[in-house]
Amino acid sequence: MEDYIINAQDLTKSFDGFKAVDGLNLKIRRGEVFGFLGPNGAGKTTSIRMIVGLLRPTSGQILIDGQDINKVDKSKIGICPQDIVLWESLTCQESLKFMGEMYEVPEDILKKRVERLLNDLLLTEKADTIVSNLSGGMKRRLNLAMALIHSPEIVVMDEPSEGLDPQSRRVLWNFIRSLRDKEGKTVILTTHLMDEADGLSDRIAIIDHGKLLRLDTPHNLKKEIGEGDVVHMHLSDPDKNLEVINHLKNMDIIDAVMEIEGKINIRTLNAVGKLPEIMAELQDLDVEVEDLFLRPNTLEDVFIELTGTSLRE
Amino acid sequence: MKFINVAIKDFKELIRDRRGLFMILLFPLFFMVIFGFAFEDMGKSNEPHNLAVVNLDEGAKMPLTNDEVNYGDNLTKIISDAEYEDSDVKLFKVTETSESSADQLIQLKEVDAIIIIPKNFSQSIVDLIKSSITAQTMGTTIPSEYRDNTTLKLVIRGDSSSIAFGVSQAMLVKIVEEYQNGLVASIQNQASGTSGGSIKIFESDVESVAGTESFSQFDFLAPGMMVFAILLLSTTVGASLTREVEKGTLARLKLSKMRSFDMLFGALLPWSAIAALQVLILLITAIIMGFNWQGGLNSILLAMLIGVIGGIASIALGMIIASFAKNDQQASNLGILIAIPISFLVGAFFPLPQVVIGEFMGRTFEFYDILPWTHILDALRTVLIYGEGWDAITYDMGWSILLTAIIFIIGVLLFSKLRLSVDN
Repeated sequence: MEDYIINAQDLTKSFDGFKAVDGLNLKIRRGEVFGFLGPNGAGKTTSIRMIVGLLRPTSGQILIDGQDINKVDKSKIGICPQDIVLWESLTCQESLKFMGEMYEVPEDILKKRVERLLNDLLLTEKADTIVSNLSGGMKRRLNLAMALIHSPEIVVMDEPSEGLDPQSRRVLWNFIRSLRDKEGKTVILTTHLMDEADGLSDRIAIIDHGKLLRLDTPHNLKKEIGEGDVVHMHLSDPDKNLEVINHLKNMDIIDAVMEIEGKINIRTLNAVGKLPEIMAELQDLDVEVEDLFLRPNTLEDVFIELTGTSLRE
Repeated sequence: MKFINVAIKDFKELIRDRRGLFMILLFPLFFMVIFGFAFEDMGKSNEPHNLAVVNLDEGAKMPLTNDEVNYGDNLTKIISDAEYEDSDVKLFKVTETSESSADQLIQLKEVDAIIIIPKNFSQSIVDLIKSSITAQTMGTTIPSEYRDNTTLKLVIRGDSSSIAFGVSQAMLVKIVEEYQNGLVASIQNQASGTSGGSIKIFESDVESVAGTESFSQFDFLAPGMMVFAILLLSTTVGASLTREVEKGTLARLKLSKMRSFDMLFGALLPWSAIAALQVLILLITAIIMGFNWQGGLNSILLAMLIGVIGGIASIALGMIIASFAKNDQQASNLGILIAIPISFLVGAFFPLPQVVIGEFMGRTFEFYDILPWTHILDALRTVLIYGEGWDAITYDMGWSILLTAIIFIIGVLLFSKLRLSVDN
């Protein structure tokens, strides 16, 4: 039997008749990094707020270690919100200490933990700096440290790399991996960055319109829409896109073909080997290819395939 | 003891926000200075005050000579004849009347104060004279019940929110004190040789107040300004609590093991300290501006304590505001919208017409008395203008503590329900 730490059963949340989350069922394993993907307004943050006990579901139940969320010891969960939520006039050290006190962390343990977190998140030099004087990246890292001061079993991070430069993002990713690998924590991660979800998550849930669309490992998800590569093709005359797509769809060697942003997007296994055959077909159709590039299949392709290309607000 | 951690955190935030702190402390101070200049000389005119004298004294017979005496009449005449210093204007225009009609006159605002002379006034003085003669002949001391008589009371009554009453009261106390000193001197002369020490014949319900001639409207406004400043705290507290909601720090705390009690009781400590500090700063400013402060260091401490209770009431009001305001700007606006009318209602700026809704413990209970700050203001005036101690303000303090507790409970319940429970 698998060891699930979080079990969300048939979770629904309605706001004035609008269903933000609609019958969501999720089981999250102990010690995994769980990615939560979805376009803006898909219901990610609402789901997260319910899972951590900040929002009451309209119906459904959340069990943490088999216990109802309302009865769970509060120190089991730590949340790093999407926005930077800090007391601007406290120093880094004071902020962490205060938060630890609110979780009743014993003083000697708290002292060591503050030191370690400041060190792990490269904030030791800024320990006595007032929060309002920190840079955006430092504030983000402190924001994360605040969620970990009571050493929770479950760490929820709502878009933690938002606004981080590539260097800070790397620090964060390594930190998240070490939380799982060294400390055995369960990490729930919502993100817009597909490479982040792909690289960090053990399993990924894709939700849209409040419903769970897929839940699987990144590898399986990518395999689902065609293992292999993606060919992007830009025709000199984009009016012929539709005609070309119809032709290509009939070719056995191609898994899928669609138009994305005026370009033809072809998915196939071992694209390099198949390219001469595809090009010959295009020649027969008398179309000129202006630009062409080839890349391996990514999670983003899965995401777009499942949630479409229309813009969300 | 998480509330102490919350208090420390709030205190750090308070003192590090220099601009905010500056505003909290200096804004009322600015008002005090303006009012100080504006009202410095107001009310100093030498006009007779209307006084109702209720002389119940039944007179007595003097020992040895058996002459009929009436010290009540004697005191009434002295009060009627008293004049302003360096002037021939009388202090009082005296109306002699019964107790019930005197009360009516006060309500109609036809007199500023009432003095009631008890029926055993002369008899008590005569008894003292007798005992001092006895003591002289027997070579003993005057029995203590005569030497320190606290049962014989001269009552001075009036509307404590009226400026004219304050002035009249201060003058009457001075006259009564002088009268008592004169009597004591003459008795001691008659009974010379006795080791009587200090003798107190009667007690008036207010104690000695000096410098009565210079009372001005500002003296009544200064405590009002303190209450106004304390009331404005509700605005700042409301805004600061709303900021926690708006910035999401409250959501962070909601996820922790902190309870509503920790958060709200924790907030109480630093803000109460601010209330006490406000009273102190405003008192010092007022004294510089010419406020006739009575009483010693104790009165400052007492005034600060009164300020703390008023401050707690304002903090509770701030919690109620923060339960409804959507952002800190709205909390500030709402706070001002509430604090300023309340300042008027409690009589911080000028006395209001009487709206009596009943009687309680022998005192009239007015509409404004349902607000704790009314009692805070009365208590501050009693302590700072008349230099009185704790005994004189127990009634007002009792009410203000009770009413503050009620508002605090409402504030905690509302804030916990609307801001600290799980969102729906």
